[in-house]
Amino acid sequence: MAKRITIDPITRIEGHLRIDIEVDNNSVSQAWASCTMWRGIENILRGRDPRDAWLFTQRFCGVCTTVHAMASVRAVEDALKLEIPLNAQYIRNLILIAHALHDHIVHFYQLSALDWVDILQIPKADPDRTAQLADSLSPWTRNSRNEFKAAQDKVKAVATSGQLGIFMNGYWGHPAMRLSPDVNLLAFTHYVQALEYQRKALQVVGMLGSKTPHIQNLTVGGVANAIDLDSPSALGMDRLEQIRVLLDEVVQFIHQVYFVDVCAIAAMYADWFKIGSGVRNYLAVPDLPLDSRGSAYDLPGGYILDGNISGAHTFRTASDKEFRESVNEDVTHAYYRGEKPLHPWVGETSPAFTGWDGEQKYSWVKAPRFQGRPMQVGPLAQVLIGYAQGHPLTRKYADLALNKVSAVAGVHATPEMLHSTLGRHAARAIRAAMLAELAQKHWQLLVDNIAKGDFTVYNQPEFPGHEVEGVGTHEAPRGTLSHWIVIKDEKIKNYQAVVPSTWNASPRDRAGAHGPYEASLLRTPLARPEEPLEVLRTVHSFDPCMACACHAFDPSGRQIAKVKVL
Amino acid sequence: MKNMLIGGIGNVLLGDDGIGPYIARLLNAYYQFEEGVEIADLGTPAFDLIDQISGKDAVILIDSIKADVEPGSVLLYRKAEIVCTRPPVRVSPHSPALIETILSADMFGIGPRDLLLVGIVGKTYDSSCSLSALVTASIPQAIAEIFGELERLGVAYRAREHPAQAEIWWATFEKTAVPPVFRP
Repeated sequence: MAKRITIDPITRIEGHLRIDIEVDNNSVSQAWASCTMWRGIENILRGRDPRDAWLFTQRFCGVCTTVHAMASVRAVEDALKLEIPLNAQYIRNLILIAHALHDHIVHFYQLSALDWVDILQIPKADPDRTAQLADSLSPWTRNSRNEFKAAQDKVKAVATSGQLGIFMNGYWGHPAMRLSPDVNLLAFTHYVQALEYQRKALQVVGMLGSKTPHIQNLTVGGVANAIDLDSPSALGMDRLEQIRVLLDEVVQFIHQVYFVDVCAIAAMYADWFKIGSGVRNYLAVPDLPLDSRGSAYDLPGGYILDGNISGAHTFRTASDKEFRESVNEDVTHAYYRGEKPLHPWVGETSPAFTGWDGEQKYSWVKAPRFQGRPMQVGPLAQVLIGYAQGHPLTRKYADLALNKVSAVAGVHATPEMLHSTLGRHAARAIRAAMLAELAQKHWQLLVDNIAKGDFTVYNQPEFPGHEVEGVGTHEAPRGTLSHWIVIKDEKIKNYQAVVPSTWNASPRDRAGAHGPYEASLLRTPLARPEEPLEVLRTVHSFDPCMACACHAFDPSGRQIAKVKVL
Repeated sequence: MKNMLIGGIGNVLLGDDGIGPYIARLLNAYYQFEEGVEIADLGTPAFDLIDQISGKDAVILIDSIKADVEPGSVLLYRKAEIVCTRPPVRVSPHSPALIETILSADMFGIGPRDLLLVGIVGKTYDSSCSLSALVTASIPQAIAEIFGELERLGVAYRAREHPAQAEIWWATFEKTAVPPVFRP
């Protein structure tokens, strides 16, 4: 008989992700993803000045502040057909890259590594052997015996104190944990080091954006950074040099530590390349514009349907006509009023809570659809689409990752294997490695452009008398983000944000098609259903935007065990 | 000189959750603090809070809280009281993560020695840019608690001779809104 497990929130007031699964013979037979809180923040924006919208959207979420700020100014600029000066494009690109690198480092080490790494095995590791292993994988200079020993001592101190602190909620000793003590120590040591490098990436955001966590330098039409090569307070050579040094350190960490760790750990869990595939429609928009009109980009976009990598479609621009016309939101299974799917420009956010009912309505997340289909977004979509299009930078790091996995696992790793839970982790590392290289490129582009004597950072926006609409997109760390705006009389008439986690966490649609989280969980094997580590591995691989906690219920709905998760 | 942070936490678009940023901005506009004291509107930083509290001698956080008492009540929590609670499960980087952040910072030896959470019990967290009346009325008490902590720590502060306008840019009523009950 099927056993029902609900993974439900107990946190404070942010939006929560809830996962319900049915388990049959230790395998997931049914899944529902839902968000338990309505925010409706878009309604706050109506009637406001479009030039102020980014200040508000930056507050949608405290972790992805910059991405919502950027998508918002881009939406207004798209509506006004405004060109953006080169300096502003490069400064924005650097901020977006630095933010994404920070986000990817934190996601892998602080948020999801402990799904795969067993902290309580670490006291058994041998720091000398760990150092030898690390040297065989990477030239990283901080892979020393002393660093490993220090990290091991920290864990031993925590373990012997009986106060596990941050590690209190792990599935230690779970049968799905399979790394050797030495590899566990290696990964944990990098978990500690990652804290330093994610901070350096954030410092770059702060230096260019003038503040973190909320950047201050954006404006519709460009940026507000004063460029003055000789001034210490403006963006001059001193500050640019500090930024370069920070970026170089982060780039080295990404290439020599994060990328290497993901490939090595993935190789040691190679069976997880067969689990967690789900929706094989992928969507990504081009990003990192290289000119003022947004006609050339460093990162490609497009879409793939039904996993058909050889038939990938291309978006030429970040507000491609096909993209603009193909997005709708379905509320059949979401707690909103409305009949047919609506395009975001005419979208409505009219709440109608009816309680969780898996057959009817069960989520506050709408179901965005592209040409009527659920789409998976995020690094995996970005990498598969780039790979399919033969994008050189994507191919460079994707092939490097696949070769590394092949070498360690002793298998022939192919792009097809990326349709999986581990594929999402590998793709995020591939994307980070690409972004790291692009960080240095865009720093150089900015410096070269300033050296030509171009100090322009802003074009004045002009509002037409008639109603206009625009879409601002950003290929954010979690995937395709789009802000949709309608402007009339210099005021916001309508505003809708279709965010990456809405695509991935979407409920079923009117046709009954699962969203990506739901589809990815089906047929997942569980070693111990009451400790659904495997479910968390797959959900975490998407880098979800909402909090959740775990309870286990028997079919009658009575709580039988509290499940600990990290 | 203390190396100190006074940080307001919360989402300014979700009603009473905006009280932390609101008070941080009031303090900034109306008071001067000795060198080394940073006043910040931190938004909802989740685990990124670790970068804000790391390496500080002392931290005061101002945040809305949920508790079964009258909205507008001001409750104080010291570091030891916060971390003795079991860390909530964290699946997403967006969850508040206060406990894990403090525990992590302490484990890596970079946590603040003193940490006080000034919690204001909220009434409504619906999407809105304004505070409820009960929460607004609690501002003087919350600020008095912050000053009490500064005095305990020996940190100097005084009212500005020429107060700036508090930058409560999100407030729906008007941009210069200062609650009538609050006068430094």
